[in-house]
Amino acid sequence: MSRAAPAIAVRDLRKNFGGFQAVRGISFDVAPGEIVGFLGPNGAGKTTTIKMITGLLAITSGSVEVNGLDNRRELPRVKRMLGYMSQKFSLYPLLTALENIEFFGGISGLAPHDLKAAMARMQEAVPAPVLRQKIQDVPPGIRQKVALFVCLLPDPGIILLDEPTSGVDPEARRGFWNEIYGLKTRGKTLLVSTHNLDEAEYCDRILIIHNGEIVSAGAPDDLLRREGKASIEELFEDAIRSHGQN
Amino acid sequence: MVRLERVGKSFGDIRAVDDVSLDIPRGAITVLTGADGAGKSTLFKMLVGLVKKDTGRILLNGEEIGDDYARVTSVCGYMPERFSLYTDLSVEENMDFFAAVQQVPAARREELKTRLLERTGMAPFRRRRAGALSGGMKQKLALSTILLSSPQLIILDEPTTGVDPLSRIEFFAIIESLRREGRTIVMSTPYLDEAEKGDWIVLIRAGRILRQSSLADLRRTFPARLFRILPQGNVFAAMRDAASIPGLAEAAYMRGKFIKYLQTGSENLGSRIPHRQMVEEAPTLEDMYIYYERRQ
Repeated sequence: MSRAAPAIAVRDLRKNFGGFQAVRGISFDVAPGEIVGFLGPNGAGKTTTIKMITGLLAITSGSVEVNGLDNRRELPRVKRMLGYMSQKFSLYPLLTALENIEFFGGISGLAPHDLKAAMARMQEAVPAPVLRQKIQDVPPGIRQKVALFVCLLPDPGIILLDEPTSGVDPEARRGFWNEIYGLKTRGKTLLVSTHNLDEAEYCDRILIIHNGEIVSAGAPDDLLRREGKASIEELFEDAIRSHGQN
Repeated sequence: MVRLERVGKSFGDIRAVDDVSLDIPRGAITVLTGADGAGKSTLFKMLVGLVKKDTGRILLNGEEIGDDYARVTSVCGYMPERFSLYTDLSVEENMDFFAAVQQVPAARREELKTRLLERTGMAPFRRRRAGALSGGMKQKLALSTILLSSPQLIILDEPTTGVDPLSRIEFFAIIESLRREGRTIVMSTPYLDEAEKGDWIVLIRAGRILRQSSLADLRRTFPARLFRILPQGNVFAAMRDAASIPGLAEAAYMRGKFIKYLQTGSENLGSRIPHRQMVEEAPTLEDMYIYYERRQ
């Protein structure tokens, strides 16, 4: 792994919702050009952490730096460095794929010729009849593709994807991960949360989070060797059980 | 326990289930897996009579059921893809309601309800509104409701889709305990790693069965060797170059930074990809699925 300054540096990050501690002092780095997988059960704190990195959710304590910039002091600059795809892809269901792109391209301040180029790329990637359908009527795999496309419109260097593949069938998932890997080869940094443990093998490193704490972290192969486990599922189950149930 | 013979179903021009013959062995976990739209749900609905088949026969314990679906429904519990729970009722009220619908004798209800909720880990949440449960808990409650009638045949349509990994592991453990009691389970899942845990695996695509067998037999009869190749340089460029080698493009696919190659002929064409590393591996169910899918 590269020792370059981290793209994302999270230090002792905490989030309380009233008396409930959703994230309990977690620290990790994501190196530039790395794909880090964020694994955990529902309610473990994955989405909360990702939202704190984006600045969408206020931090209770601790810090997040993005390319060396504190995300509270420098939020506008940090936001320009980040692409974020939320769990419920935030596309407008009554607009078509192209209309969504036009809309989001517009609000992210894309120059008209760049927007035109982006729409042309979308037309290549998605079959024409599907492009004319309302986004609510297209298959989840396509919806997810369009959502990723929208998230990439401003060409961010760091991309945060929150459960992009949940509810998507295996073929579409494989295609999606190949796109994610393509982003890495173009130098992008990715933090991806997922419910699908078999996707860990696409990641350079994984973080397993449970009850707001990181219970295991490392390269998937190293972790398996170190813990003497045959599969990520075994590793996951063991990491969670040994840190107590919800 | 159940046999389907050349069953077919069309919706307009769409052939949802195409001449499917399938065995569901007694006392085993049968798992159907494949992409969305493969015909899994339609197949289940035909089994329980919710969708009428166009052609073919369905046999239960060796006897054709004809239009007498009550013969299946009287021994089976069916959990549709969208769990049919009453979200405004509590866990316990849902159980009471379904016990009444399934005509569980009143004298047995309390004991059965308690036992099932304990078995599925739902006992601590008896008073919680079903609508306020997590996805994994809803699915356990839905399973509990269908177990009220003590079905011998349990049909579960994508019970774990979109559910978090820990709940998925727990759910499958409950399924395995039901099998140990000798019950017959048939379920569908889009997760190939989950499907690997089934005793009898059915790979399905576009309404057709690609393969049905145990995992061990699938592996034993798999006609290709699998190599995982770490290419020199960029994997996308390597895939593009591979396309120019006759016979390689159809047998190779990308998985992250790796190229997976399925060798069927005598020559290892994958070795022609400039690579840093090439390892032979046991194929996963996903590899086998891709192989048969491409050959369909």
